[in-house]
Amino acid sequence: MLQLFPARDYALIAVILGMPLLGAFVNGVWGKRLGDRAVKLMALSAVGISFAASIVAFAALADVVRGEKDAHVKLSWTAWEWMHTTAGRTGTSIPVDVKFSIDQLSGVMMLIVTGVGFLIHLYATSYMEKDKGFARFFAYMNLFIFSMLVLILGDNLPVLFVGWEGVGLCSYLLIGFWFENGANAAAGKKAFIANRVGDFGLLCAMFLLAWYAGALDWNGIANGASSLVVPGDAARIHVWPLGGGQYTGALSFLQPGYFQSHHTPLLQSIMPAAAVTVSPATAVGLALLLGCTGKSAQIPLYVWLPDAMAGPTPVSALIHAATMVTAGVYLICRLSFVFVLSPFVMVTIAVVGVATALLAASIAVVQNDIKKVLAYSTVSQLGFMFLGVGVGAFVAGFFHVFTHAFFKACLFLGAGSVIHAMHARIHDDDAAQDIRNMGGLRRWLPLTHWTFAAATAAIIGLPLTSGFFSKDEILYRAYVDRTVNPLAGSTAVRGHGVYAPPEWIGHALYWAAVAAAAMTAFYMCRLYILTFWGSFRGWTVGRPSLLAREEVAHDGHGSDNLSTPGYPPHESPWQMTVPLIILAAFSVFAGALLNPGFVKVEKPMDHWLDPVFKAATEGAVIVREASEWTVGLGGIGAFLVGTLLAWWVYIEKKGAPAESAKASAPGLYKLVLEKWRVDELYDATIIAGVDSLAETSAAVDRGIVDGILARLTALLVAAAGTVLRAFQNGVVQVYAATMVVGLACLGWFFTVPHAKATVTDAGNDDYLVTAAPGVGYAYRWDADGDGKPDKPDFGTQGALKVHVPPGTTSLVTFEVKNAFGFVKAKKLTVTRPQAPVSSL
Amino acid sequence: MIPIEHYVVLSALLFVIGGVGFLVRRNVLVALMSIEVMLNAANLAFVAYNRSHLARGVAHTYEGASHTGQVLAFFIIAAEAAEVAVGLAIVLAMYRLRRTVRSDEADLLRN
Repeated sequence: MLQLFPARDYALIAVILGMPLLGAFVNGVWGKRLGDRAVKLMALSAVGISFAASIVAFAALADVVRGEKDAHVKLSWTAWEWMHTTAGRTGTSIPVDVKFSIDQLSGVMMLIVTGVGFLIHLYATSYMEKDKGFARFFAYMNLFIFSMLVLILGDNLPVLFVGWEGVGLCSYLLIGFWFENGANAAAGKKAFIANRVGDFGLLCAMFLLAWYAGALDWNGIANGASSLVVPGDAARIHVWPLGGGQYTGALSFLQPGYFQSHHTPLLQSIMPAAAVTVSPATAVGLALLLGCTGKSAQIPLYVWLPDAMAGPTPVSALIHAATMVTAGVYLICRLSFVFVLSPFVMVTIAVVGVATALLAASIAVVQNDIKKVLAYSTVSQLGFMFLGVGVGAFVAGFFHVFTHAFFKACLFLGAGSVIHAMHARIHDDDAAQDIRNMGGLRRWLPLTHWTFAAATAAIIGLPLTSGFFSKDEILYRAYVDRTVNPLAGSTAVRGHGVYAPPEWIGHALYWAAVAAAAMTAFYMCRLYILTFWGSFRGWTVGRPSLLAREEVAHDGHGSDNLSTPGYPPHESPWQMTVPLIILAAFSVFAGALLNPGFVKVEKPMDHWLDPVFKAATEGAVIVREASEWTVGLGGIGAFLVGTLLAWWVYIEKKGAPAESAKASAPGLYKLVLEKWRVDELYDATIIAGVDSLAETSAAVDRGIVDGILARLTALLVAAAGTVLRAFQNGVVQVYAATMVVGLACLGWFFTVPHAKATVTDAGNDDYLVTAAPGVGYAYRWDADGDGKPDKPDFGTQGALKVHVPPGTTSLVTFEVKNAFGFVKAKKLTVTRPQAPVSSL
Repeated sequence: MIPIEHYVVLSALLFVIGGVGFLVRRNVLVALMSIEVMLNAANLAFVAYNRSHLARGVAHTYEGASHTGQVLAFFIIAAEAAEVAVGLAIVLAMYRLRRTVRSDEADLLRN
């Protein structure tokens, strides 16, 4: 294989990337005319071929890895040279090529995207069968796969950014897929805008990297990363005062210490007393982190992901669970060597991750919509991934991406199967997703039930399933706290004090993560039990008779009469169950790829990814010694506590404790049910602020731009027009008369002589008086000021030199006679001022 | 020989008659005729001055200029003919469209 595709020019990547793009193009342009069968074939074969090519590429990569003795290797392919830019402190030329590469990290990610993507495409061919936007759906899905592959395989940040924006666009299009409903369109917009905030961070990070590291491709950034922590004040970025400038006058409040000398205690405590600087590494890390929080739905930008469930369920599974939302974690892994340079950024990532995990888990506990629970679960699990990479356990964090892709895709597809089944009974989108209307579904959906159970077991960390291993590894690393990187920590290198995270942070992260894990176990078991166990509660729900028969999306079943039991829920067709079974199998067994440490078997995944994170983890220090056995007990304990509590509440007591807890703290329940009112907080602060800014701008636009600039100008022109219109009365004779008057004026002007003169200094105390010329003009001068002409006759002499010494004045008179014999005189007084007295 | 002043006075009279006629009459045909009168007044002045200058020898002071006035009169007659052709065509078109030859009623572009 490598003879055909050498590692430096691995053109098979073109197939991996090109097929989904081709599918998107064909289905997008001709989809309606092709018919559903052809659309299906095109979409599936596009992703299928891409997946097959990915496997081939991965095998080739594995070959190379074996040959190179486990070094960090790449199969790369340059499509074309994109641009060159000269930037950076060193003024180096930064080439930006459309270049793609497969290494150990992107190879795994590529397999996830195309593999899980193919299964979800297969599932969607059945799930979306009766939808009138069938072709459009698959065009978007294929475009998403293409964009995601560009994101993953891009060999530099700008190419990654293209994919990053592409998946954002597809996410937007697919969330708002059923855009006839305004709420769906609004959810798409929300996702887009929240991501745009993150993209701003990513753009800033790119500029900073181009400037400080002088490179934008992965190898270049890795080589230039050390210049992000060079010692010296000049290399640091001034946060306060902005840009490190000296501010005086009205801007002097920007100077450090200003508030300490002038203002109230409140401002004194808020405003920094001394100049605040950060190292470029911290600035780049924080900017990248902002981008990652947007895409991976972390605090503060997580709010879009739960709303994104407005899209079709396969979209939720593919984009908003398995692949796109893990792009942030992928980027942190990809640029791990940049992040580890700043301990502050690493701690921030870990704290953001664990806070998101806790917050989202708490919300998921009380949600009733099956997809909402899974959405918050996704946010929470992404928090775990951030925690993992934040404590320097990149392999563990990425391994959680890997396992999460399987079990969360399986859960979402299972939820889709459940909704599909519920739709047979309840023709109402919201009611069909409400777990209060479900129950006992294992009777009708055996396959869905068992696969859902397997994925649930994985996510709650049932020992020996994949989720158990990945979560356990993250918890362990959070506890032993490996954030200290020697390069980052060396004061000799940085020349500055380094941020040292507090001692207790490892414990805090660990226990918060354990709490989040326990909550995960609880809410997932609650979801599972309420959906599949007990007796079916859906017989009495729904108002299908209110819907017109043809509006009922679900053909072939569904009774319109509520008094009869109607059709029971039913199992989904094979296109939906086969992906479920495969994903469930992976959910359970994929953990074997990263055996837990206490089993002491080789960890293939760890070993595989080690070269990628070598730069980031070499010399990392284990702060706290602990055995994986003891630390692992926390994870198992969390699993046991959550599961047993859910079992006790929802099976033993049939949900009574939940009701009484709800009744005892109605305020708190409502607050959590309304997602801690974070959306409302954002509405009241940021969105209201932006709105008022927009309203101010609109008022300025209406008042000043429209009102004064545009309308006043128009009014002036209109007024001038009204006046001038009176002259255009349409009578030719009046125009002719106006011409006659004008001619008369001209005639008068030429008949009368014009006595005008200019005076210029001619040197030697002389002034030259030049009379204005004219046709047939003759001149007579009186230079001596005696009131009589110097010569009696008019002559052609048009200029006269007058001698005027300093401090004297001379009176010059001249007369002009034109051809008609009219004469006009002009008197000029020429004065030369006294020269200033020299100080010598 | 009739002195030049007679020609000039006659020319000026014709010009004033034409001008006043153009200004006061509203009939487009009459206005056109007034323009003819004014142009012919100019013709008369050209021809008279040319002849007078020839008689006094002024027109011979530079080569080829001796009959400029007469030649110019022919040019003016040619221009007049063209002007009348276009002008009458316009009047005819206007009459067809508006059923009038009065200039103050042809005021579509007014205001």
